[in-house]
Amino acid sequence: MNEELILQHGLTLDEFQVIRKYLNRDLSIEELGIFSAMWNEHCCYKTSKKWLKKLPTNNEIVIQGPGENAGVIDLQDNDGIAFKIESHNHPSYIEPFNGSATGVGGILRDIFTMGARPIATLDSIRFGLIETEKTKYLLNGVVHGIGHYGNCIGIPNIGGECEFESTYDFNNLVNAMAVGHVQKDKIFYSKPKSIGGLIVYIGSKTGKDGIHGASMASDVFSEEDEDEKRPSVQVGDPFMEKLLMEGCLELMSSGLIESMQDMGAAGITSSSVEMASKGNVGVYINLDKVPLRQPLSAYEILLSESQERMLAVIDKKNNHKVREILQKWQIDYEVIGEITDTKRVVFESNNKKVVDLPVEIIVNDAPEYDREFYIPRKRKNKDFDFSKIKLEDMIINLLTNLNYLDKSWVFDQYDSTVMGDTIREPGQSSGIVKIHGTQKVIGASTDCNPLYIRINPYEGMKYTVAESYRNLIACNINPLAITNNLNFASPLDPNIMGELVLSIHGLKTAAIKFNTPIVSGNVSLYNQTNEIPIKPTPVVGMVGSNMNLNKINTNKFCEIGNKILILGKQLSKNCSPYLLQDQKIALNICEFNDLEILDLDFEKKIANCVLELSDLKCIMSCNDISRGGIFSSLLKMQYRDLGFKVKISDPIDLFCEYSAGYVIEIRSKDLEEVTSFLTKKGAEYVEIGEIIKEGIEINSKKFDYFDIMNKYRNNFEKIIS
Amino acid sequence: MSFKSAVITFPGSNCDRDALCYLKDLTKGEVHNIWHEETSLPKVDLVILPGGFSFGDYLRSGAMASKSKIIDEVVKHANDNRYLLGICNGFQILTEIGLLEGALIRNKKLKFLGKNCFIKKKFKNNFNLSIKDNQILQIPVAHNEGNFYCDSETLNLLKNNEQIAFEYCKGEFSNTEENINGSLEAIAGITNKKKNVLGMMPHPERAYSDFHQSQDGRLIIESLIS
Repeated sequence: MNEELILQHGLTLDEFQVIRKYLNRDLSIEELGIFSAMWNEHCCYKTSKKWLKKLPTNNEIVIQGPGENAGVIDLQDNDGIAFKIESHNHPSYIEPFNGSATGVGGILRDIFTMGARPIATLDSIRFGLIETEKTKYLLNGVVHGIGHYGNCIGIPNIGGECEFESTYDFNNLVNAMAVGHVQKDKIFYSKPKSIGGLIVYIGSKTGKDGIHGASMASDVFSEEDEDEKRPSVQVGDPFMEKLLMEGCLELMSSGLIESMQDMGAAGITSSSVEMASKGNVGVYINLDKVPLRQPLSAYEILLSESQERMLAVIDKKNNHKVREILQKWQIDYEVIGEITDTKRVVFESNNKKVVDLPVEIIVNDAPEYDREFYIPRKRKNKDFDFSKIKLEDMIINLLTNLNYLDKSWVFDQYDSTVMGDTIREPGQSSGIVKIHGTQKVIGASTDCNPLYIRINPYEGMKYTVAESYRNLIACNINPLAITNNLNFASPLDPNIMGELVLSIHGLKTAAIKFNTPIVSGNVSLYNQTNEIPIKPTPVVGMVGSNMNLNKINTNKFCEIGNKILILGKQLSKNCSPYLLQDQKIALNICEFNDLEILDLDFEKKIANCVLELSDLKCIMSCNDISRGGIFSSLLKMQYRDLGFKVKISDPIDLFCEYSAGYVIEIRSKDLEEVTSFLTKKGAEYVEIGEIIKEGIEINSKKFDYFDIMNKYRNNFEKIIS
Repeated sequence: MSFKSAVITFPGSNCDRDALCYLKDLTKGEVHNIWHEETSLPKVDLVILPGGFSFGDYLRSGAMASKSKIIDEVVKHANDNRYLLGICNGFQILTEIGLLEGALIRNKKLKFLGKNCFIKKKFKNNFNLSIKDNQILQIPVAHNEGNFYCDSETLNLLKNNEQIAFEYCKGEFSNTEENINGSLEAIAGITNKKKNVLGMMPHPERAYSDFHQSQDGRLIIESLIS
């Protein structure tokens, strides 16, 4: 086989030699295609595996950790929650509408493949600066794509993030998360149960779209690639997915299916190999039986990433019943092969074996690298000059920065109330939905602090996990488990690899402390275009619960005269990275001071105070303090005609970041009870002000309430239009 | 006598379950779920055509659903003077069947709109009896094509026959525009001439339970039952 062909398939020559030696024969082109698909970063985690193994993935509530289509946790009684986050970064840059739409489609299939009905989605999306002409196009396309798919299939979108930063200029990020509800005794896995079971193909016909999508997703980009790679982006059909979802859920609840696997990245190849590997069995598939949209070669069928397709294993005797149900939903269905005892993956086309490989070599012998990494240099600490900073300017700055403004423009394009169980819609600290027919609620939040992580990957990652944690705590949701999406630039650069290694280490430390294991996740590397690497962006998606929906806190102000308290510890001005960046005090990444060490025990202590006070019904509303400080948090809490007045010795402190930071609203009559409770617990607090009607006052200086709120709500749309 | 109702499910309907819960919880009577390929409809007081993207909304929103087998029965039901309510995609289907006038075209800003909206009743009918004049209802919308349009002759007819049931308005503290999707005369819902068929874009079935942000959606079922 010639070298060029091997390299084109994304394999190194060393990797190829491993295969060649094991098989002791030449490979067919189809077999090369299989290795190309299965040995790339996206499918086999060859760079990150060594480090991912260190993460805590289990505790008493974990039913299924990483390794299946989605993680599952126990929510008492017969209720389980399946959830996962996945990236669709490169496709969304090349073709923002279809790239993001199929990202949503893919993650939803991961959820219902487990037998779970999806009940919520969230999206963490990041773009370059809005001044870059392309950003508007990408933002419009991505938001439209996410909305188009999720709205049509009818799963509420309950939140996420949307940020803008220059390193995403030519490499925007789209991470989609989905949460589903499953009955614990009806969870489906990819492991087939019996030899001789029929392998059936369910869903859309196979076409040319997405061929080599998975290996494209593991590639470094240059701008010229864009047009050339567009045919690799899959095209989604949410209507088909809706039918597929209903059809599959009906099959599963009728007990007609043994196991199921979605055909996502690397299509039929990946799903069949996965099945064989999980069950320690073999698979035989006749490619001539695969329903096709257009004439395709065996090679193309194997690597197509056409959307809305599933592979299932059924007992022969159920064939007729399965067909009947799928006909009702107007879904294509074909028996294409069977489970064998050979422990080999065999694909036949035109009466010829085009692939005949031991499962072992594809899965177990997949490469695993221990790449070189550098630990960032220790930073010096210095004092910055804040003397020229004026409060008025800081407020104006915040109201003209997309990252702080109300993002209704984004969220209003999503259906957040379909399914009738939504309790908190997007734009609040966490999205919350009710488990249908129960009093239980599920809260979810996605977060990342790329700037913190670039400054100090280990501590920065702790802050990121803590931010998700606070987002849930603020609503009185008990954090339970994590899914993560590690978006990084090329790991071949030891500095980037260092960020990857250290942030995984930080994730581990925080997850152990909060007892929130990592149950699913995704890795997206090589996020760099024209040699500009993105900031390290390991996104955390945290899920939590409360068994009683009546105990949930609102994030919005309730009543005039109520007191505003601040919990937690303010980071010093010199160590508040976003404050320094946004006020243009520190511009270059080298200029920042190191992060203050985040005390996770302190985070837990304050969080427990918030949970206890919430259960005592002492908290009228609560919001966490993150980027933009207390001031930004107060703006988010504004509701109806309510405003706030606060007193603070140095107004710049209103914009500083926090550890364990929460704004809480307390009735005057509860003030003594709350403060003595906090004192008893040794929790620091400051009474900072109170809620007033139609006003914003800082140290007795009155600001134009209507002007500020108007800009806060409407500037986003103005800036991006 | 107990109130009986039914919800039709088309492929791509995604508010059918919500509508079923809404009816079960508020009517306390028998509620049927009918698949679009059925050819008979039980004798019920109210039929709901639910929201969603029936047949993917391919061709035109509601166009393909309006040709489903069950539709003949739905039309008979309406001709029998019994209640028929189309919500969102259901409203679009009703205009495609021809039971309601006008059409629903793309929202003014050409974007999907999923948010709380505010409506009030325009002319009295059996669907809004329990709603006071000038009472502002908060009910979510979620649509791409909710911009009501008809020619001026039809509009005059709708007015003269008092067929406009709901119109969009401004909420007390809301930042939202008065006419969120650009509908002609801010029309949010209309009835047929006999006023037993109502189509509306807002989703009352998402605003009735204690945990919903608003319970105003109850008023429609309460009006019908009273």
